[in-house]
Amino acid sequence: MSSPTESSGDGGVAGEAGQSRVAARSGNSFAGDFWVNFKRWNLKAVRNPFVLVVSLVQPIIFLVLFTQVFGQVATGAISRGGASITYETYLVPAIAIQVSLAAAATSGVGLVNDIENGMFEKVLVSPMNRAAVFLGKTAAEIMRILIQIGIILVLGVALGAEISTGIVGALGIMLVGVVFSMWFVSLSNTIAIITKDQESTIIGANLLQFPLLFVSTAFLPLEVLPDWIQTVATYNPITYGVDAARALMLDRDVMTVVEVTQFSGVWNTIVPALAVLLALDLVLGSVAVYMLSKASSSDVQ
Amino acid sequence: MPRPKSSQRSPEQANSAENPESARGLAIDTEGLNLTYGDGTEAVSNVSLEVPEGEFFGFLGPNGAGKTTSIKVFATLLKPTGGEVRVNGFDAEESPRRVRESIGYMAQETSVDEELTARENIRFACEAYGVPRDERDRRIDELLELVDLADVGDKKAEEFSGGMKKRLDAATALVHQPPLVFLDEPTTGLDPKARNRLWDYFRRINEQGTTIFLTTQYLEEADELCDRIAVILDGEIVATGSPDELKRRVGGEILDIDVEGDAGESEQAAEVARDTDLFEADATVEVTDEGITVTSKQARQRGTDLLVALRDEGLTVTGFNVRAPTLDDVFLAITGEHVEAVADDIPSEGTAEVDR
Repeated sequence: MSSPTESSGDGGVAGEAGQSRVAARSGNSFAGDFWVNFKRWNLKAVRNPFVLVVSLVQPIIFLVLFTQVFGQVATGAISRGGASITYETYLVPAIAIQVSLAAAATSGVGLVNDIENGMFEKVLVSPMNRAAVFLGKTAAEIMRILIQIGIILVLGVALGAEISTGIVGALGIMLVGVVFSMWFVSLSNTIAIITKDQESTIIGANLLQFPLLFVSTAFLPLEVLPDWIQTVATYNPITYGVDAARALMLDRDVMTVVEVTQFSGVWNTIVPALAVLLALDLVLGSVAVYMLSKASSSDVQ
Repeated sequence: MPRPKSSQRSPEQANSAENPESARGLAIDTEGLNLTYGDGTEAVSNVSLEVPEGEFFGFLGPNGAGKTTSIKVFATLLKPTGGEVRVNGFDAEESPRRVRESIGYMAQETSVDEELTARENIRFACEAYGVPRDERDRRIDELLELVDLADVGDKKAEEFSGGMKKRLDAATALVHQPPLVFLDEPTTGLDPKARNRLWDYFRRINEQGTTIFLTTQYLEEADELCDRIAVILDGEIVATGSPDELKRRVGGEILDIDVEGDAGESEQAAEVARDTDLFEADATVEVTDEGITVTSKQARQRGTDLLVALRDEGLTVTGFNVRAPTLDDVFLAITGEHVEAVADDIPSEGTAEVDR
């Protein structure tokens, strides 16, 4: 079966098309594509401050109310181990982790938005490098997490919390927040691709957040929690994020779910915690990358 | 998956990837294109097409005929399960990135980032397609001007009407001045005014030398814009030709007449229409549920005479309407089947007969 090929008298026009073909060559590089997408997602974050504010408001409410309501009671529980600290100091690292959890949850929402409004396909049909596209988006999210944790730390200090390790420790807490967030970024993106639905992605990510926070060492030390919560907390990634951040906050080994003594002081918490988190990041990250490349592949499903 | 390739083409591939100009001036060249989904649905089968550069080409077909699937294959969003696809001289499977650089693609669903302004949307597209930095601002202004959005360039796209978003979407598909643009049902869901504006705009870019591949469900749209049309039905091309050729197949305009009474009266009316020498010899008269339908080149001129003839026979006409042929009429003429009825079964001899 063949179709007639006579063009209807527009040969001259075709000649011009041949010329513009040369102009169509683009000069994209991996770094350039990365930067373009990094900029787009930052611009979107600034344009939509609602998301930024919402993912900060809840943790801030937690920080203020918990310290006010439970402060008196909790101080006894957290001071069992020795040197007395305020509940503000105890809680700030947990809130930092909560912030990174909330911010990570919005990553999948951004993706599902793009799928729904056609931008996902628009990007796929462009000559941009796809890895650079998704790395640029993730980098913008990481930057947002860094800024939000920074805000929480400043607010915490203003409320009377003390970062024993100083500025270096504060930067360390921000870094822990980023390492911590990656597994949840991966998870929320995976949910986004599977459901392709904004509501499900928001609900899915949010439903997980709260119970996970409470069955961890976020608000109280492991030893004062009921047995079953202690068991759950041992397998809860949030425990590892909070313990690592808290070790930096208090400048001492706070981890009780796993006892590591090969290193010195805070490192006995930070090394095992980061090891667990990085392993989790790797596993869930691989799943997310697999799902993403499947979703953006041109193979017929 | 096995992918049959015609052997005489393969040696050219490496060569033509570097030298697109060698492709005989064809913007799209497909041979035996097949796409079967994982669940066994054959969305496109054995589609062979040659679209010369500069042509305004239309892909006409009902919902689910395989128009969007075909366009997605051409735009490298889907890999064909069989056959050859060359776009602007590049093999769509071997060098998808080359193809992507050289085409503009406007999806059926309007695709704009509503959180960004019109200007920012176009800027992002400029950056995505690697438009040189010093040309971007000028290009953005030009495109905003072209799609009449210059005065709202700094407004967020979420404030735009459906037509404005479509125009913005079209502008972002053109930032890199692609020689070939795919438009997938670009006017679906737009009011006539917005649609006409978009048509003007497509004509303008085609006049500037851009090849346009448009899909539509409306014969009227294809007639208005296209140099040449392929009619697709159930994943197969059933006819190719100029809009006039296709309309000629239908045999003119269509006169629907509602006659009071039941089938007997309708039959009687059909007799009258056939017996009068009002219409040319190859005009057709059909009995419908409400009355009769006459397809004739003189439908418009002789309609009143027919009404008078019917009245003289004692028949009461309760309604009448002269209209241009629709897609359904074209299908009826080509395959002998109504569009609604062909979804599950097309008579193969009907297809073969028109597929020259």
